Amino acid sequence: MADQGAADPGNNNNNNKPEASEGTIIKVTVKTPKDKEEIAIAEDASVTQFKEEISKRFKAKQDQLVLIFAGKILKDGDSLSQHGIKDGLTVHLVIKTAHKSADGGSTSASSSASAQAGSSSSSGPSTNPTSTAGSNSSAAPTAQPPNVLSGYGDLASLAGLGMGSANFMELQQQMQRQLMSNPEMLSQIMENPLVQNMMSNPDLMRQMIMANPQMQQLMERNPEISHMLNNPELMRQTMELARNPAMMQEMMRNQDRALSNLESIPGGYNALRRMYTDIQEPMFSAAREQFGSNPFSALGGNSDSGAQPSRTENREPLPNPWGPPNASSSPESGGGTMGSTSTTGGTNPSVSNPLGINASSLGNGMFNSPGMQSLLQQISENPQLMQNMLSAPYMRSMMQSLAQNPELASQVLMNNPLFAGNPQLQEQFRSQLPVFLQQMQNPEALSVMTNPRAMQALMQIQQGLQTLQTEAPGLMPSLMTGGIPGVPTGGSVPTENPAPSPSSAGTNPSQQQQQLMQQMLQMFAGGAGGGSATTQTPEVRFQAQLEQLSAMGFINREANLQALIATGGDINAAIERLLGSQPS
Amino acid sequence: MAAAAGSGITVPRNFRLLEELEEGQKGGGDGIVSWGLENDEDMMLSHWNGMIIGPPKTVYEGRMYSLKIDCGSRYPEHPPHVRFINKINMTGVNSSTGVVDLKSVPSLSRWKNSNNIKMVLLELRQHMMLKENSRLSQPPEGQVFRN
Repeated sequence: MADQGAADPGNNNNNNKPEASEGTIIKVTVKTPKDKEEIAIAEDASVTQFKEEISKRFKAKQDQLVLIFAGKILKDGDSLSQHGIKDGLTVHLVIKTAHKSADGGSTSASSSASAQAGSSSSSGPSTNPTSTAGSNSSAAPTAQPPNVLSGYGDLASLAGLGMGSANFMELQQQMQRQLMSNPEMLSQIMENPLVQNMMSNPDLMRQMIMANPQMQQLMERNPEISHMLNNPELMRQTMELARNPAMMQEMMRNQDRALSNLESIPGGYNALRRMYTDIQEPMFSAAREQFGSNPFSALGGNSDSGAQPSRTENREPLPNPWGPPNASSSPESGGGTMGSTSTTGGTNPSVSNPLGINASSLGNGMFNSPGMQSLLQQISENPQLMQNMLSAPYMRSMMQSLAQNPELASQVLMNNPLFAGNPQLQEQFRSQLPVFLQQMQNPEALSVMTNPRAMQALMQIQQGLQTLQTEAPGLMPSLMTGGIPGVPTGGSVPTENPAPSPSSAGTNPSQQQQQLMQQMLQMFAGGAGGGSATTQTPEVRFQAQLEQLSAMGFINREANLQALIATGGDINAAIERLLGSQPS
Repeated sequence: MAAAAGSGITVPRNFRLLEELEEGQKGGGDGIVSWGLENDEDMMLSHWNGMIIGPPKTVYEGRMYSLKIDCGSRYPEHPPHVRFINKINMTGVNSSTGVVDLKSVPSLSRWKNSNNIKMVLLELRQHMMLKENSRLSQPPEGQVFRN
């Protein structure tokens, strides 16, 4: 029995390594509750060296790492062999966050090892994402698309999940859930200039909101909401609020105070109550069923101070639908570019989706990342994805609003670093933009984009053109004027524009190419689509409304047009804008 | 010492402990518990260290609790002696010595010889998550029970 017991208990590995072989590399598995990595390290390494390797792999700071083996905490001064750590064995890793308190008492009763942040533990979710990020970020480099979200802090891990399943509804929901539970992330996201940019454009926001069918339902039931949406001041304030949680709190406090003031006014309490039952309740329930969780609880009110009972819509607790749900959606934008067609009502898909997608297209910073490039690649390789993406309802609405808002779109794209170095390209693209956007809506174009053979054919044409240009530069102009049969290139514009731009930055062939593309686009727009619009100016679109307005006596066509553009064709709202008063 | 071979197939004590040792070294605890021999040269495989990571959403979250586990000569027929090293405030744990009274941990109160150290640790962790325990106020970290 002694013999059995004596059989070197540590020698559980399969290979018979002679003990004297110092400096051999052993592979040790490092396991966290969420993740597992194999780390190669020298057999005679110290725990400190081991931790260095681990910190690189798990992207955590060395002093956040706590290693446990065989029930003992490994102290920095120890060596691996001291603890009997050999090849093939597993060491447990705990990554401490600033909040997490670690009890480092080792069996040798030296509690000095623990002397680390000892504050009370924070909420579980917040530590989980961090350690998840820590452990999953190592997986990220191997799967490119997740990098897309790396700019958003801890969401890289989610990206890993999402891309794998190409089910972005899930991804969105997960993100929302995480965000709801993690105020840190929320503030991170809000601080992202991308989000802020997007949010500072009230028109865009409004369009997005309105385009969402659920929102539309809500609006039908509660016309005050549409009033609110049409009031740019209010929108701006609301967005300010959303951006600035401190301000939001301030507002709420004000509102509370005002509310209590109101109560003290004779008859005021009744008025309040009436208001509540008439307005707030249905709103609450309507919104709640759509928004899932209760965003009202966080917000309670909008920008206006409550002390104006006559203006009833200001009381409406239309809970900043772009508060938590909003912010939650916008970052997942990058991942959200590839949405699935399933419209499962999730936690907050309603408002978030359009915004989410929008942010992605506005995500000029994101185009930069290699992740995005690979995303584009993936998209072109995988027609299914493309299809999903394009047919996603929110994608459509995004496209629509982009189409209606050419200045915005062009702005966005101009800022896109892809185009940054190439002013000609910018110009070309800018002029093509409306056409391009129209096409994106054209189902024909969409189907072309999803057809891999068509895409390949397009690529071939593109390449052919390029060779032509190099071979016979003089040939190009005549070709262009001659009118090459309308080949749809709308879809190829995004993928191909980036491609030629680096290779032919600012050179002549690129210009010609752009012109060529332009022509093709126009031809396509005129031809294959058949019915769908050629470039429509706002004037054309709002023709009917303009007439109505002038019939009502608003003579200033320019102003009318502006108002119509701003309100997206809503006559009533446009009238109010023109009158310079706020809707009531 | 090998257990008596009378009652069917009883795995000898040392075999059992060796198996458990191996599992412990291979990370059988999934990152939430860990166990191993205290001393590699312990021929009797009696003195073990254990570690429990405090479960989330409890007052033990984020802490790492060290335990001493002693497998007597009649293990696994008889349960081991388990004792917390890091101070903890929990039902079933003697608040001055840290000794765990296995009878108060329902899943361990009726010890079977199929139970093992891993089970003990996992069950103790579960025990931490019970309503009665998950919110008890805990002593500050770093404190240990005196021997």
